[in-house]
This record gives sequence, structure tokens and C-alpha cells, in this order.
Amino acid sequence: MSGFRGKFSLLVLQNAPLLLFAVLVIVFGLMSDRFLTPINFVNIVNQASHIAIIAIGMTFVLLIAGIDLSVGANMYLSAAILGVFLVGMPPLVAFPVVALLGLAFGAVNAFMITQLRVAAFITTLATLFIGRGIALYFSGNKMVPFSKSVLAFGRATYLGVPSAIWVFAIVLIIALVVLKLTTFGRQVYAIGADPDAAAKAGINVKRVVFTVYCICGVCAAVGGLVSGSQVAVASSTFGFQKEFPVIAAAVLGGTSLFGGRGGVLGTVFGAVLIQTVENGLVMTNANPYIYPLVISVIIFIAVFTDSSRTTVLERLERRKIRVEPD
Amino acid sequence: MTSADATIASKARPLPAWKRLLLSEYLVLILTVVYFAVMMFVVPEIATADTLLDVLSAMMPLLVVAIGQTFVLIVAGIDLSAPSIIAMASVVGASVMTGDAGYANGSGLEVIAGILAFLAVGSVIGLFNGTCVTRFNMPPFIVTLTTMMFFSGAAIWYTTVHTDASSIGNLPRSFIEIGQGRVAGLPLSLAVVLVVAGAAHFILSRTVYGRWLYAVGLNPKAAAVSGVPVRKVIFWAFVISGVCAAISSVLYTGRLETGTPVLGQRILLDVIGAAVIGGVSLFGGKGKILWTIFGVLFLTVIDKSLQLMGLPIASVFAIKGSIILAAAIIDAQRHRLLVSR
Repeated sequence: MSGFRGKFSLLVLQNAPLLLFAVLVIVFGLMSDRFLTPINFVNIVNQASHIAIIAIGMTFVLLIAGIDLSVGANMYLSAAILGVFLVGMPPLVAFPVVALLGLAFGAVNAFMITQLRVAAFITTLATLFIGRGIALYFSGNKMVPFSKSVLAFGRATYLGVPSAIWVFAIVLIIALVVLKLTTFGRQVYAIGADPDAAAKAGINVKRVVFTVYCICGVCAAVGGLVSGSQVAVASSTFGFQKEFPVIAAAVLGGTSLFGGRGGVLGTVFGAVLIQTVENGLVMTNANPYIYPLVISVIIFIAVFTDSSRTTVLERLERRKIRVEPD
Repeated sequence: MTSADATIASKARPLPAWKRLLLSEYLVLILTVVYFAVMMFVVPEIATADTLLDVLSAMMPLLVVAIGQTFVLIVAGIDLSAPSIIAMASVVGASVMTGDAGYANGSGLEVIAGILAFLAVGSVIGLFNGTCVTRFNMPPFIVTLTTMMFFSGAAIWYTTVHTDASSIGNLPRSFIEIGQGRVAGLPLSLAVVLVVAGAAHFILSRTVYGRWLYAVGLNPKAAAVSGVPVRKVIFWAFVISGVCAAISSVLYTGRLETGTPVLGQRILLDVIGAAVIGGVSLFGGKGKILWTIFGVLFLTVIDKSLQLMGLPIASVFAIKGSIILAAAIIDAQRHRLLVSR
């Protein structure tokens, strides 16, 4: 591989998700004249908000090489509590209460993982079942309708921007500040890169890991609230298997499953990309049975280019450091 | 402390009985027996021959997928696509065999063609997963997550192309017998599973490939340095998992008498949960077919007892989750005890 070609392919690979996004926007734009409108763009972000919010929490967990499969159950439990027990409360009081309960859910996961040393995958798999079970018990296995004030919040716009996007923006800004500007943020990356070295450097690994799962729990609950206020009723499949699009969004945005690499901006991009595809398919009147096929192919392409980038990078670096004997 | 010292020390001061029990590889089996004994007082119906046969035939298809998953877990991989392989193979296989305009209908070979179609779907998806993981260095979790999403969708789409109904019925009688038939009172599927489990046990414990699997799972770099063809070993683990999912699909489809695109949709976490409860490690290098069998037996017995008690779905979810968690906590303590010795 010549130097120029190597650098060029690297440049393409590095920006592959962006290129993919551009191609998709152009294709859908050509196929439907309703797609490339400002209203539709707001619409896409609005619909992507709940996935993006939960995926931001998931990013923290993935950064420390953990995983949380219970976010969908947490969403449903939050929605069920909001719709069954907090009916009379105004959203401004009820939402923080539910977010705190989400934190408690995350803390249960965190306790199992850090104190009892159960693998994160199994812990959150178990709490997925338990959370859904409790939520189904609360809801009596029926649809949970939300109060008028919650729905009014879901429909409200402030300064022309839907409430879901406001919540999403606030969560994003807090997450960005925490990850980029605080000691805690740097500790998260350090633990993801090498937990043993982080512990030797004096980082309280257990405390950071505990906090990370709590953050993910709060985000999942907030995502459940946002989604609930948009869909008006939570059916018994609310949030079912949501963990998969959430993890996909984070990975699409360049967050590694092995920890230490990635960030919340990429995750938001991933969530918007997935929603763009779904929206574009609706706008172009595609066969609904095709949606999952197209979305999975696009996630696949993004991860494929990401893995190829790593391989190409390794190859390029090897060329530089090797001294050829003559 | 050398190993000789350790033996002397443990001889001098034998472990208390509860510790020995905790460390026993039959712990899950013992827990199952204890659970079963307690349940006999709560729901006496559980101890009837009919129920036991039911448990046995219910666990057969799950067991075959879990055996395939064990191979992938031993090399520190994961196969989330197994349930979607079950669904895809089910509808493709059924579309070949069905009496309603099946591709091979009336040829006299429809059952054989159908079963080959099942196996083809399983091995092709397994080959694809294996290639992505080993050739393109993609993380198994994401590769199999996308194949899961793709083929769950594809199975539904394929069904809509083939028929107006939501599933493909009218399958040949001789095929249905594989899933439902009984020989001398025992389910016919038991024979299939015994062959698969026997072969898997043989591969893992008696062949070079089996030893390579553990070596790769424990430390891929060390394995590569010692001359193990790491990529090939991982690749074939994914193919084995795909084929096992296809065999399981044959059993499930036969039991239900229809090719269904939502078949196995909800068993993903059961499969991985069963293997891990049995003692297979998610981090690779640890696992046995016998352990997986215990794990599947444990989950199936719990499912059946909750079903017999007539509990609402909410309690079933919550109880099952708590039991998985309890088993995981016991396993974590057991691991801690092992390390501290």
C-alpha cells in the first residue's frame, strides 16, 4: 500500500459514519421531497431523543467496558410508576421522583457488580427480568395511560423546540461536561483503558463503576419518561429489547464495547443516524417489513468500517516503526 | 505455596461440607433437585410422569441451542443471533416442505430437502458470523446483534412473501414426528439431542480442536504463540453454534407443526442464562456440556413449576430474574472462594 493510498483510505474510513449519513440523506432526499425539510429534521431529532438519552447513559457504561441490558426494563418500570402511582402529581415533581427511582434501579445493578462481583452481563440480564416483572405487576398486565399533564408536557414546545429535545439537550450538555471537564470523566476513560493501571494510579475503581451504573439508570428512566410522554400509553411491550438499539447507537457513534474509547457526541450521532434511516424509510413508503433489514445492514456497515479502520491504522503504524534491515 | 504444599494443607484441614458443596460441579444439579423436592409440596402435579416428560421435551430444543452457544462462549465470544437463526431456518425449512405450494412438495424427498434447508440456513449464518469476527476483527456482540436484527426481520418478511398467513403450516407428518413423536414413551427428540450432546462432549473433551477452544478462550495470544490456529478455531465455533440453532429449529418447528418467524424470539436470554448458570464463563476458557445441560434443566424445571402454579406473567418474570441473579451471586462467591484457596 503506497503512502498516499493508505492515508486516503484511512481518511475515508475515519469519516465513514459521516459519509454514510451524507449518502443516506442524499438518497432519501432524492426519493422523497418531504424528507429534506427543517420540520422533518426536528421531527427526526424529536423521535430520536429517548434513544439518545438512554444511549448517553449506556456510553458511560460501555466506556468502562461494562454493559447494561436492563435499560429497557428500567424504562418500562419508570413509565409504569409514573402512570400508576404518580397520576396526580405535576410533571415537574413526578419526573424527578421517577428519575431518582431510575437511579435506585441503577444502584441495584451497581451493588451486584461492584460489591458482589457478579458479571455485569448476568446482573443486568437478571434485573431486566425482575424489572419487567415488577412493572407488569404494577400495571396489572394492562396498558398504562399517562395523565393529561404528562401528555401536555410531551406535546409542548418551548421557543419552537419540542420538550423532548430540550430534555435531550440538557442531558447531553451535562454528560459532555462530566466526561470532558471533570476528574470523574477522566477516571471513567482511565478505568476503561486499563482497570488495573487505574487502580494502581489511585483511582477508586469501585466508586467510579458504581456511579457509572447509577448514571445509566437515571438516563434510562428519563428516556422512559420522554418516550412515555410522546406515545401516551405504555403497553406491556414498552421498552422491550430497547437495549439493542441503544447499544447499537453508541457503537455506531464509535464507542468501543471493550472500554476506554468513544464519547457521547458520537452516540448522539448514532442515535440520530438510526432514526434518520427509519424516518427516511417511512417517507419513501418502503415496505415496513424491510425496516429492520435496512437498519441492521447500516449498523453492520458502520461497525465494519470501524473495524477496518483499526486494522488499517495498525498496518500503517507498523510501517513507520519497522526498521528494514538491508 | 507450591501445589504439593496445597495438597498437604487441604488434607490436614478438610474443607467444611458447605464449602465442598459450593465448589462441586454438580451444585446446579443439586439446587435443581432441592428446588424440585420443595416444589413437590407446593404443586404435587410436578412429580407426575406426564409433567416430567413435558419438561423433558420442552428442554430438548433449548438444550441444543445452548450446546452451540457453549462453544462460542468458551472462546470468549457470544452468539446473539441463535434465536433469529431458529426463526429464519423455521420459515425457510417449512416453505420447502409445506403441502401449500412448498418448493419440494410432492417430490417424495420433501422432508430431507426441508431438513437440509434448515441446516443450510444455520450454517450460512454461522459462516457469516464467523467470517466477520475472525477475518474483519469485528466484535462478536455487534456482529451477532446485527445478524439477529437482520434475520429476525428477514424471517417475518420471508413469511409475508411466501404466504398470507403469519406462519407456514401443513408440514409433512413424518417431519412433525421428529418434534412430537415418542418411542417407547420417550420423546424422539431426545435421541437427536443425545447425539448432539454426545458429539459436543466428545469434541470438547477428547479432540485437539476441543483443547484449542479452551486455549483460545483462556488466552488467545498465548494460544497463537503456541501454534493454535486461533482464527480457524473461533470461526468453527460460530459455525457449530449456527448448525446447533438450526437443529433446534427442526425440533421446535416439528413440535409446533408450523414454520413460525417469531419462533425462539424470547429464548435468547434463556439460552445464555442457562449456560452461565451451569457455570460456563462469559469471559471464555471455562465450560462443559454437562454444565450446560444442568443449567438448561434448572431453568426448564423453574419455568414448568411457575407455569403449574398458575402465576401471572409478572411474577414469572420477577421470580425467574431473581433465580438467575441468585445463581449468579452463588457463582461469584464460589469463584472468590476458589481464588482465595
